[in-house]
Amino acid sequence: MSEKKKLHPLVEVDEPNFITEAFDYDLPPLIRFDSPVVEYIDGEPVRFDPSGVKTRDIHITDTTFRDGQQARPPYTIDQMVRIYDLMARMSGPNRVIRQTEFFLYTRNDRETLDRCRAMGHSSPECTGWIRAIKGDFRLVKDAQLKETGILTSCSDYHIFSKLKIDRKMAMERYCDVVDAALAAGIRPRCHLEDITRADIDGFVLPFVERLMEMSEQVPDELKVKIRLCDTMGFGISYPGAELPRSIPKLIYKLNVECGVPGDRLEWHGHNDFHKVHTNGGTAWLYGCDAVNTTLFGFGERTGNPPLEAAIFEYIALKGDLCGIDTTAITELADYMRSIGLPIPANYPFVGKHFNTTRAGIHAGGLRQDERIYNIFNTTKLLGRPPRVIITNNSGADGVAIWVNEFFGLTGEDRLNKIKIHRLARWVMDQYEREGRITAIGDEELETKVEELMPEYWEKYKGSRE
Amino acid sequence: MPTVEQRVKEVTARVLKLNPEDIKIEHDFMSDLGAESVQSIELMAMFEEEFGIEMDEDAALSVETIGGAIKFITMVCKEQGVDV
Repeated sequence: MSEKKKLHPLVEVDEPNFITEAFDYDLPPLIRFDSPVVEYIDGEPVRFDPSGVKTRDIHITDTTFRDGQQARPPYTIDQMVRIYDLMARMSGPNRVIRQTEFFLYTRNDRETLDRCRAMGHSSPECTGWIRAIKGDFRLVKDAQLKETGILTSCSDYHIFSKLKIDRKMAMERYCDVVDAALAAGIRPRCHLEDITRADIDGFVLPFVERLMEMSEQVPDELKVKIRLCDTMGFGISYPGAELPRSIPKLIYKLNVECGVPGDRLEWHGHNDFHKVHTNGGTAWLYGCDAVNTTLFGFGERTGNPPLEAAIFEYIALKGDLCGIDTTAITELADYMRSIGLPIPANYPFVGKHFNTTRAGIHAGGLRQDERIYNIFNTTKLLGRPPRVIITNNSGADGVAIWVNEFFGLTGEDRLNKIKIHRLARWVMDQYEREGRITAIGDEELETKVEELMPEYWEKYKGSRE
Repeated sequence: MPTVEQRVKEVTARVLKLNPEDIKIEHDFMSDLGAESVQSIELMAMFEEEFGIEMDEDAALSVETIGGAIKFITMVCKEQGVDV
């Protein structure tokens, strides 16, 4: 290691280097690669080119109405239709959110599907989700869907302990259902449940090889898709991790050894170990074109890759908005909150305080240049300007930001710290003299602004009537 | 009419609750007179009110001593046509 040591002299510059090629403030920070990734698979080095995502047709799929709904009380039909409509707006003309899947079992399920399709959006395409039971195909056919997910569990935990059958019986049962789907003209999407805990060489690869053989007999639009379901969140993104947990190796085995093209591979993760978003991005990088997500990550137990995070990851990898309407994310969050879905205040991109600072020193930075403490132009991309919460740590900088936001003042009109000194003093006294230990809410501050800054209140707010 | 120095010392004494007699021209607002963050801003606000001027925030808050404040305020008054 010591032989690699080299000197790094200070580079003095006339202008600051804000590294804008990666940190264009009007986009999420770009994810740029400057080298291939080498992974050793079965002892041999395999090169992956992560920058290939810029040209590959990577995309997002959604399971808000299936896996997402398993984690909460059912949505009403109207709610699902509204969510679908906003999702379509976010998806944009490039159909970045390519598909969303629906249960088909109840009358409400089918009515929702009909109303969503009746809106005529080009994306997300509506697909179904059924058990690996032949009788369920009637539902798919009746709904006139082109594609359906089929539960094909592949770990011995599921085959032996849940289904109480052996591997051969499992494979025969699954293939019978796939045959039935193909015969019905419906594309099967096999959900390889619990793949990150499965015997890859002993079951997964033989099963997928057989599915690929079956696909050779049918037209392209019917060829089997494979969803890699990391059911318990065991997937690992790190290079060098071993199977069955290694996402790079899983995708390589299916893609290269079994011949499943990237456009027929989809990653479905769970967040039991806080790895869900990065694991989805990893799947994209190593050759899987689709990442399956739910809005705000709501899904079974700890949830799935958050759709909105995948959207920003997509833009960061592509280096362009690609026609995506990111402001729909904020509208969706507001809508979800309005129907009782709790979103933690510190939740990225949509939480009430995701771009709110409490620290006075950060507020000071924000006042000088919002880029210092704001992740990107949240006003433009999410309709959410950076904010401050007033506490004992806010300082006069924080109070000044709050007042300017409250009055909607920009540029030269913004009030400096000297002009808000009475309010800053009141805030300080709340904590130092009154012993307050809670944050000061907006309404309370508004009242104090009116009382302590009457000249500005009158100028910018007029009377309360 | 009191001088700029007297007026600066009076305002400082009022805001920081000190005796004007104890305030020296070389005193540093923070280390010698104990001004805290919000008090520095209150001082600037009171200087604006006392002299009827508008001060640039960054320039005003970079003033560290009583002598510096006298010099700065005199300059701003001159720029803004305020007799002192």
